[in-house]
Amino acid sequence: MINLLTGIDSTAAALNAERIRMDVVSQNIANVNTTRGLDGKPYQRQQVIFDTVLRAQQAGNSAAQSVQIARIEADHRAPKMIYSPGHRDANPQGMVAMPNINIHEEMVDMIASSRTFEANLAVVKNARAMAMQTLSIGKR
Amino acid sequence: MDALSAMKMMVGQGAGVQLPTRIDTDAVPKISLPELSSLKSLDTVAGGGGGSFQNLLGDLVKDVSRKQAVAGETVNGLLSGKNVSLHQAMISMEEASVSFQLMVEVRNKLLESYQELMRMQI
Repeated sequence: MINLLTGIDSTAAALNAERIRMDVVSQNIANVNTTRGLDGKPYQRQQVIFDTVLRAQQAGNSAAQSVQIARIEADHRAPKMIYSPGHRDANPQGMVAMPNINIHEEMVDMIASSRTFEANLAVVKNARAMAMQTLSIGKR
Repeated sequence: MDALSAMKMMVGQGAGVQLPTRIDTDAVPKISLPELSSLKSLDTVAGGGGGSFQNLLGDLVKDVSRKQAVAGETVNGLLSGKNVSLHQAMISMEEASVSFQLMVEVRNKLLESYQELMRMQI
């Protein structure tokens, strides 16, 4: 198939990756007070790891470098301990292990993700504008 | 001096030139048949797999139609809650739109050149 918007594949992959990153951030923020996760332990902060992938393009022999989520891994920092003796998950000393999530960190991650998404959208918009301007060569 | 008198003067000057009365047929090079058949094959694209311009145009239209189909499929997938993201739908729609614009431009150019030919004085 003809490829008029070159490089758009990499951008689409980047948009996808940023969307997943945003999902992970929202999951972290949602679970900021979860003291019992699926494994019975307090929720651990999740973070995404990006990897470069080679994406062979159909037109032209250049192999565009694209991005993908390699994996989503847990942050192994120690949980925050707070004193709350009446809590369901309190230990004999009355301490409760809270998730190792810093809400400010998550906000900064969210802003960074949002800005990267925006930049990639600008690339799409620009590619489209370039194609349309090139098509206007023929206009009188 | 007006244009008419200038033309009259030029005709007057050319009156002394001997016009050829007989066309020398031997001077016209004879074209053999193989050369003519090689001319016939000129309209196919060289090295393009033997596709003529007509085929190329047909492929373009097919490509545009396929892109439109893909865009429609993606938007349907998005609206029916399948695992399609918003940007994928938007990008495929943009691709379809840009390739359609290209097709329209090609059609305009073709029509323009046809009309130019029709206006040509013979």
